[in-house]
Amino acid sequence: MATVTAPPARSSFREIISGRIKKRVLAKRGPLTPPFVLEYRHIFVLPTKFGWGFGVMLVFMALGGLNFNNNMALILVFLLATIAQLTTLIAYRNLSGLKIESISAEPVFCGEEANFRVFVSNGDDRQRFAVQAGFKEAQDCRDFKLNSSDSLLLKLPTLKRGWLDLPSFRLETRFPLGLFKAWSWIFPHTRCLVYPAPARKPPPLPKTGHGQTGLAVKGDGDEIHGLRKYQPGDSIQRIAWRASARHDELYSLEMESPREDACELDWDQLKGGDTETRLSILAAWVIAADHKQLAYSLKLPGTLIAVSKGASHRSRCLESLALYLL
Amino acid sequence: MKAKPTAMLDRRGTLWVITTLVISMLPQLISMPFHLVPITLLPIVWRLLAEFRKWKPMPIVLRILATAVAVAALVITYGGLMGRRAAVSMLVLMLSLKLLETFRIRDARVVTSLSLFLCGTQFLFSQGVPMIIYIIACLLSSLIAFMYLQRCEAFEILDKVPETDRNMLTELGFGAGLMALALPVGLTLFLFFPRWSSPLWGLPEDALDSRSGLSDSMTPGSIQSLFMDDSPAFRAKFEGGMPSNSDLYWRGPVFWDFDGRSWKVSYLSQNLLAENKPDPEKARFRYMVQMEPTEQKWLFALDYPALIPANTKLTIDYQLLASRPVTKLREYVMASDPGFQDSPVLKQTFLRAALELPQGFNPRTAEMMSAWRKEASSDTEIIQRALRYFNQQQFHYTLNPPLLSRHTVDEFLFDTQEGFCEHYASAFTVMMRMAGIPARVVTGYQGGYYSDIGSYVLVRQSDAHAWSEVWVRGSGWTRLDPTAAVAPERVEQGAVESLDQRRYMFDFEWLRNARNTFDLFQRGWNNWVVAFSSDRQSRLFSGLGWDFLSPARLVITMITIILIAGAVVFLLAPLLLKFRSSQKSDPLLRLWKKFIRKLNKAGFVSQPSMTATELAANANGQFKYKGDVIFRIAELYTLCRYSRGSGNQAELAELINRFKPGSMS
Repeated sequence: MATVTAPPARSSFREIISGRIKKRVLAKRGPLTPPFVLEYRHIFVLPTKFGWGFGVMLVFMALGGLNFNNNMALILVFLLATIAQLTTLIAYRNLSGLKIESISAEPVFCGEEANFRVFVSNGDDRQRFAVQAGFKEAQDCRDFKLNSSDSLLLKLPTLKRGWLDLPSFRLETRFPLGLFKAWSWIFPHTRCLVYPAPARKPPPLPKTGHGQTGLAVKGDGDEIHGLRKYQPGDSIQRIAWRASARHDELYSLEMESPREDACELDWDQLKGGDTETRLSILAAWVIAADHKQLAYSLKLPGTLIAVSKGASHRSRCLESLALYLL
Repeated sequence: MKAKPTAMLDRRGTLWVITTLVISMLPQLISMPFHLVPITLLPIVWRLLAEFRKWKPMPIVLRILATAVAVAALVITYGGLMGRRAAVSMLVLMLSLKLLETFRIRDARVVTSLSLFLCGTQFLFSQGVPMIIYIIACLLSSLIAFMYLQRCEAFEILDKVPETDRNMLTELGFGAGLMALALPVGLTLFLFFPRWSSPLWGLPEDALDSRSGLSDSMTPGSIQSLFMDDSPAFRAKFEGGMPSNSDLYWRGPVFWDFDGRSWKVSYLSQNLLAENKPDPEKARFRYMVQMEPTEQKWLFALDYPALIPANTKLTIDYQLLASRPVTKLREYVMASDPGFQDSPVLKQTFLRAALELPQGFNPRTAEMMSAWRKEASSDTEIIQRALRYFNQQQFHYTLNPPLLSRHTVDEFLFDTQEGFCEHYASAFTVMMRMAGIPARVVTGYQGGYYSDIGSYVLVRQSDAHAWSEVWVRGSGWTRLDPTAAVAPERVEQGAVESLDQRRYMFDFEWLRNARNTFDLFQRGWNNWVVAFSSDRQSRLFSGLGWDFLSPARLVITMITIILIAGAVVFLLAPLLLKFRSSQKSDPLLRLWKKFIRKLNKAGFVSQPSMTATELAANANGQFKYKGDVIFRIAELYTLCRYSRGSGNQAELAELINRFKPGSMS
């Protein structure tokens, strides 16, 4: 499967720790799929780099205060330490109770960024601040008001066509002081369809089936196709008054556009070139045909998608290109 | 997730970081040499301008240059970088200079954290009650700065921090709330955190700072400058009888050596110990002294000290000298016997030292004294005559005496005739020596403010005083106060009250009274907070009946408590949280479960897969229940569960509560 994350060059201490935590979460809770609510078991709290530094400073201040028995300095240190400790709880509460509703992703072309939307809702009567989502680095951040929902955007680069699995990611917060981070690992079962990258300079569209395979389009047009019973909503100009007079019923004219050119996009037409090149040319053709509002059919070894047009046809064609031989 | 180290500061963050820094450096700004203040403030002003005019960070060369200039100014001012004031001034300057390159969140956090560190260092200089306001201001400001920095960092990826309902006031409230929540735990830590009974390292003696207070020399004007200072020197709480005001001579440095202008302590008298001292049993005054730090070694006691506090020596001229300078609040128990006879026999060395005068000074006084000597039949007569002289001539006790040049005593006695206590003491002692009577100058404090409520005597720096002692054969060293001969009210009412002029613009009596009342709080604060030490801690524990808590055991106990508490939290918290979340999540489900429990008790076997209606049908079949209560419950539950608003949950609750499966038809 086309899971695209940068390979870890060297596993640092931090990576080892986060790897262990991930494993633990998986072992304890199993892969979680939305919707689910973040609970105490999902949430981890550790000091940030700044938190460690601050702690070291507090230790030095405490040493000085103890040595000179300087009680006000000690009070300051103890207050700061307690406040820091309190923020762990606040950070935890900032995440706990958030509900991951769903995660979705629209198909993209290879080379574009895949956009995963993580829908999160806050059903509690407390606000959440600065909830971040991301992998190694934060990618998006949101505040959540009381009883509100919003989506966080996760972006992944796409390098291959096919399904792109959303890897495990983190919801994290450093609210309120940035001394501690509370985070949850999320193991989603969401994937994004990656279409082949369309060829930059594809050969011109093959126009094989002139006016034969193409479909006449009913509805508006210049040529009369036939008569049909009047239906509410038909234009008054289209009412066939003579025919209606003959039959005591209203008839309206049914119009159609002339048959269009249709094209057959055929794998076998593309001689030479490897699979990926052929697929990207086909993808470019699908896009071009769709852009010109032509009807087209797509023929791949083992697959035939009949002549049609429109958005859903386009998606179907591109999907079969994306998943070809996968 | 990694935070981006390059995240930039926004304006709000910058302003709060600067606010925190400025608040925390305020006390230092006030007490540092005046010319350093603009150097300290300049980088701050530059950074503010940079924020509003969108300037770029300063080039590194300029920053290094600015740092070099600042360090040079410091070295020139303090002569090297020793001393606490110098070190903290250095910290302040460096923090201020750090602002020149503070454009990123990481740097801003360093500056804010170190501002808190700076706040901690300020308590080396003062732990007075006003510092409580300072600590609160620093904490609040830094908390707000940290919050804004965190927000700025979190939303860095979005280019813009979204507006929320959090404004300045809510942030202030949030910070205050955090502090209020932290206070009980902080205070518990304060009381129970193991203290060190002796410091691991001390202040090097050359690291002391000059502080206002009596010192080891007396020149004209030195006590006068103290007179402007209303800060407390020490407090004394008497057991039993209070001495009268004319007995309140607090003995400090004793001066033997005169060089024509200033009086100095004698090496000999500083290092020889008193051969005998008053019997503590017979001492008339018993009291507890709480002394503010002076950076000097003298401890103060009434004449003549009968007790010697720990790490202190009693010199031959009855100065109490601590082995280390007093750098923090110090308390000691003291007893004094005013009737003690000091050196009935004077050794030759001291006799010579007490008569020595520099050559070529004060010829007019010398002439007058030799005339007096010829006319007098005894030492006592000369002494009386001298006191009468001060009393009858037109001498003025004044705060602004004219300046004196070479022959200080001559000019004072015959020309200006205006002076402060040190002028009188100095002139009188010189006169006595010229007449061949051994004499020395004693400095210390005289009088004090008696607080009725706290029943203690508060002695301020402005009570500093100088007097003379002459040695009279038979009765030994005798205290004589020439100032009292000129202005008896100085001794009876105190120095400040005896002057009819105001010392400075805001010197009002009501203000002084308010300050005297305020000192009650200061003393309480000193007693309960500042003086808290490992001794007090163990006294507290023994008061609570926890005598077994020695410092070492305290550490062990504390670690044990933390471990146990941690274990309890780790084991119980998940259960508690689970319990709470299940309870909180669904009251309806709880009701339903209760219903099923009641059915189960009566012998009904429910399957988890049953729907509410199925369950009702089965149960009704089994129990042959009168009416349709079971169906009604199931129906209500279904309504409440699946069509919000149409079911009456209160009715359901009542039905379930009243439901008794036992009451079958």
